[in-house]
Amino acid sequence: MTGEANTPHDDDAVIIGSEIAPGHDGRAELVVQLRFGNGGIGRVTLDTDAGLRLMRNCGVNDTAALIGHSWRRILEERECST
Amino acid sequence: MFDLIIKGGSVIDGCGKPAVVADVGIRGGAIDAIGALGTDAKRTIDARGRAVAPGFIDPHTHFDVQLLWDGQARPALAHGITTVVPGNCSLSLAPLKIEDRARLIGMFQNIEELPEAAFTEAFEWTWERFAGYRQALEQNLSINVAPLVGHSVIRLWVMGDASQQRAANASEIAAMQDLLRECLDAGAVGLSTSFVDVDANMRPVPSRFAYRGELDALAKVLGEPGRQGGHGNGRMLQVVPEFYATDLTIARIDQLAELSLAHGIPTTFSPLFDSRATPDNVPRTMARVEEQFARGARVWPQVQTRPIDISFSFEHPSLFFGRFPTWFRVMRLQRAERLAALNDAATRDKLVAETGADGGRTALGFLRVRDGGIVPASFVGRSLAEIADERGEEVARALINLSLEHDLKVPFIAANMGHDAADRVGPLLAHPLVHVGASDGGAHIRSFSTYGDTSHLLAHFVRETHHLSLEHAVKKITADTAEIWGLEKRGRIEKGYAADVVVFDPATIDRGAERVVFDMPGGGMRYVRDAIGVDAVVVNGAIAYRDRQYTAAATGCIAG
Repeated sequence: MTGEANTPHDDDAVIIGSEIAPGHDGRAELVVQLRFGNGGIGRVTLDTDAGLRLMRNCGVNDTAALIGHSWRRILEERECST
Repeated sequence: MFDLIIKGGSVIDGCGKPAVVADVGIRGGAIDAIGALGTDAKRTIDARGRAVAPGFIDPHTHFDVQLLWDGQARPALAHGITTVVPGNCSLSLAPLKIEDRARLIGMFQNIEELPEAAFTEAFEWTWERFAGYRQALEQNLSINVAPLVGHSVIRLWVMGDASQQRAANASEIAAMQDLLRECLDAGAVGLSTSFVDVDANMRPVPSRFAYRGELDALAKVLGEPGRQGGHGNGRMLQVVPEFYATDLTIARIDQLAELSLAHGIPTTFSPLFDSRATPDNVPRTMARVEEQFARGARVWPQVQTRPIDISFSFEHPSLFFGRFPTWFRVMRLQRAERLAALNDAATRDKLVAETGADGGRTALGFLRVRDGGIVPASFVGRSLAEIADERGEEVARALINLSLEHDLKVPFIAANMGHDAADRVGPLLAHPLVHVGASDGGAHIRSFSTYGDTSHLLAHFVRETHHLSLEHAVKKITADTAEIWGLEKRGRIEKGYAADVVVFDPATIDRGAERVVFDMPGGGMRYVRDAIGVDAVVVNGAIAYRDRQYTAAATGCIAG
């Protein structure tokens, strides 16, 4: 998967914010803020493995660059190569 | 004659009443009298100027295996903990068939970060059934144990490999109910389950394959007549919800409330913690908890007292570097490539430049070097800014070079990164529906210290921020806990109650600095925090810890 900006469908959840946060297990986690197709906004906290996978799937090396990507990218390439 | 008199202390009864100066007389393992009692006793503890409180109860631990070679659950006992609840998060050491041991060890390793040697070198694994585990535990206990039984192991026993493949059928659910009854009869104080955890192969643990009907059937057993604890409870259902998403946590609260109401049982979930990145998590979660309590359900959120850190080394990728693209890219390289990149002068310059014009002083200078047997002691605990100044380097360059000099293994910590805002966490801990717990004692031992949370409560939130009075804080970790869990005759300084007592100095009680010890089986390391300001700990009438020394007393028991 490349890092080119994808074009979310209108009904996709889209990442509108990201932040590094401490996790329950003492490792850094990734909190992404999502805007859903109906306009609702929510947050999901990703553990290290999932956070690394999302960044890899989106082809970014900076959490700020996640903004604008479809939340569906989390489903791609489930095997995270680190 | 009393077996023991604790003389002249400020007695905090655990129920929240103001402390009173009195003697506490103990006989036959129980509190026998409170008042002016004279001196007629076999042993005396002079508690003048000290607080005398019920022993603290830690409701969320993973001491399951440690208790088999360390009946004192060190250093929990030294912090005043007299009762621990192991078996959380769907995992317990029984019931378990011999052929499933390796699978369970993998789960414990992956979820709780316990080393394999802890399961293979320090004790003889003689049991399959819960009663056998209880018997093994009881051989040398200095601390009381109120064990949960894990849903995952019950499922594994009944369904074998299918426990991680599919939902259970009616006969399997009935078999699980029978097995749960057997465990409760053998001393389990409840059932734990998880909606989150994965095993050593990153597959969901068995409990996650359960449909709602299965959990309902098991909860029904917890609420069967005759299984009530000492305060009219059914038996506890402990749950790890999908705490990474508030909406899902709220949905689980609703599910737990239905189980609580349908079967007359208490439920508790953990963890719940505050974070600047998810500022609405706690308020939304607590609003739902309050709503469900108002309906009559019991859904106790467990909240830890200690702040949360971020720790990392250059050995593995960390999201900590998610704000620095070059760092992030380099850290994700394979080890040899990562080393090559870090050793390349041009790359190092680029990495340093990326952390800001001040060479990373603002972005990274607050990091501290952790103990871990890797770096010389002279570095441990010091800030990266301080070390960089000493080395005459920019902060970011010192971070890189220090790691390179020690084979990338240097552990760094960004302390107090979450659950650290006293004005948010203090009122939360004081909330009447919040169950103070979630210490994870005995788990995550190579990542951080899970000991001393009660000491931190009394030092920070009582003495420093005044969010709780001393009596209120003690109540939260003694009588409240005993009542929530239905632990009979524990958690109070009251005639007839078990003589679990801690004598401490309210002016100094605290947790010590985090340090590394290598006392796990096989010489494995763990982080611990020593107790400060605890004079004596009494378990069922015997002095188990005094003047910074553990005694030979082994009066702990299975509490229920």
